[in-house]
Amino acid sequence: MQYVWISLAAALAIGLPALCTAWAQSRIGPAVAASLAEKPQLGAVAVVLLAIPETMVILGFVVALMIVMRPGG
Amino acid sequence: MTKVRILGPRDQLLTFALPAVQQTGVLHPVACTVTHPLLATGEITPRLARLRRSLTRVIEDADRALAIFPEIGGAAAQWSGGLPRGARLARSIWRRAAALQREEQALLEERALIDKYSSFFSAFQALSSDLAADGAGYCLVLRRSDPGLLERLRSALHNAVGEGFELRTRPLPGEETAAVLSVPNPAAPAVERALAEAQVEEVPVPPSYGGRSLAEAIPRMLARAAGLPARIDAVHQELQALSRDHRPGLLALRKRAHDLLGQIEALSLVRMTPRAFVLDGWVPETKRATLLAALRDALGDAVAVEELEREKWTDATAPVVFSNPRLFRPFEELVRFMPLPRYGTVDPTPFLAVFFPMFFGLMLGDLGYGAILCAVAFLLWRRKGLAHSIGAIAGACGAFSLIFGAFFGELFGDLGHRLFGLHPLLFSREEALIPFLVLAVALGLVHVLLGLVLGAISSVHAHRREAVGRGVIAVMVVLVTVAILALSGILPRGFFTPSIIALLAAVPVLVVAEGLLGPIELLAALGNVLSYARIMALGTASVMMAVVANRMVGAVGSAAVGALLALLFHLVNFVLGLFGPTIHALRLHYVEFFGKFYSSGGAEYRPLRPWNTDSTQST
Repeated sequence: MQYVWISLAAALAIGLPALCTAWAQSRIGPAVAASLAEKPQLGAVAVVLLAIPETMVILGFVVALMIVMRPGG
Repeated sequence: MTKVRILGPRDQLLTFALPAVQQTGVLHPVACTVTHPLLATGEITPRLARLRRSLTRVIEDADRALAIFPEIGGAAAQWSGGLPRGARLARSIWRRAAALQREEQALLEERALIDKYSSFFSAFQALSSDLAADGAGYCLVLRRSDPGLLERLRSALHNAVGEGFELRTRPLPGEETAAVLSVPNPAAPAVERALAEAQVEEVPVPPSYGGRSLAEAIPRMLARAAGLPARIDAVHQELQALSRDHRPGLLALRKRAHDLLGQIEALSLVRMTPRAFVLDGWVPETKRATLLAALRDALGDAVAVEELEREKWTDATAPVVFSNPRLFRPFEELVRFMPLPRYGTVDPTPFLAVFFPMFFGLMLGDLGYGAILCAVAFLLWRRKGLAHSIGAIAGACGAFSLIFGAFFGELFGDLGHRLFGLHPLLFSREEALIPFLVLAVALGLVHVLLGLVLGAISSVHAHRREAVGRGVIAVMVVLVTVAILALSGILPRGFFTPSIIALLAAVPVLVVAEGLLGPIELLAALGNVLSYARIMALGTASVMMAVVANRMVGAVGSAAVGALLALLFHLVNFVLGLFGPTIHALRLHYVEFFGKFYSSGGAEYRPLRPWNTDSTQST
């Protein structure tokens, strides 16, 4: 039973941030594309803006790994 | 950078001084700051305004003609003719080139049209060769996919004109049948109604061969088609000859026009008395002697170049020029994504040149992918311009991928281990996740600390308190690290209490130096260090994808299909392995690293220089 809970916790740890990242990027992407069409020099800002929400899922991935690899996991 | 002031006789400004300054290509002109009742701004007189308009037209005409010309003809020489003659020449050449281009385009379209109809020609000609010449003829195309169409057509015609029609058919290549229908002239209206009833359309006649029907147009089209290749060739030859004769001249004329426009634009920055001119500008310190020598050659002793003392100008107005060793220069392109750094602040290019490929290599970290990346980088590096810079950056990233690939013992994931018994020199990313996480965060700690130290150094002269604040945050980040290491048993436990006491003692200093937001800055710096965990996350994801790709070979029934799937998966992983690490390595620099010291707002160094096709100088 403990195995199920650990798996569920790991899945939630990466799944929820992934959904949040997807939602954030779906809003940022069109805005960035529109901005770049008018001001191509905003390329660096575009990279940063798109990479910021990915932090959530990346840290979620790290946390999920740590949950799975904890003693008894 | 040095700010210089050039003084000379006004009557020689446009004829000698500005051309000489432009020829050296080192002076970035700026508006003169001297104020004196006698000094007036160099105004654009009506004559100069006319000249500027004329030069703009010359450039437009030359650009349009050169865009049409095939690249035949020598390189640009020096334009020796006068500008009025050049303007007339550019206009007439452009008009001739445009007319030839239009004619060539029309001929090619006509040939394409005839080619489109050519498959019908032979069929219709054979069918209509012995038909009655006095009747009305219709050329039809029937779809074979509708088997009852021919019968329906015959029935409709029979109803309309009885036995007085002749319908001949012949299959065409593809799914169509050519049909020729001949009827007496009086029956034509009834036949056309019958055709509409049977839903059969006559082959449309191209408007340029405006006969009544295709039967009449075909002979004309055939006659025209015979002469088309020769005419197209003749027009093409004429365009080539025009290019051969005039392209070098137009290139030279365009360059001369751009150079003159550059001089006229610079004129608005010059201050003048009735007899003298004053021109201020920035010049790299190493180039000052070059500028002086060029001006002396052009104007003799009539010119004076004065170096303005540092106190008379501020850093904020000085333009910025990157000056890096050749190895680091391609990475300036990555720094240029950001607004330019202010003059006198730290140029982050050398740090980016070391850490960016290192982070990339840690994330990709595979001998196979690294080798492919190096090969692609080499192909790009051999080209010119931006591709060369991208090739150099990709080459560095590929080299680090190879190095870390050897450390992690990866060749297309675990394929190297399976086939050749490859072992990691450091640790396997597939298994040692925690050591990889520690390595990533440790690198982040070094990177963020370096950023804080650079921030302290760059603001030590202008903003002492800020410099102290950055230094204190750096020390506190180290103390937090020591405390965590002591707590986790990596350092002796005795380090814990002193580091906590030192941390508490540093808090008031931090608040004094950075204000109440100081502790938040500290927390942000610690958060930034943790952000480097993404290196481990992306690296692990990359190796896991490669391992999954390798397992596909045995997972599906056929080994060949499995190998194909594995190749496809590796390709996807490689592409993802290029994009993800690039974006995240850039983000780690732009946000976590640059945020500690980077000071934007610099003006670009844009010297007045001879125009060339790569020039970004706006004229």
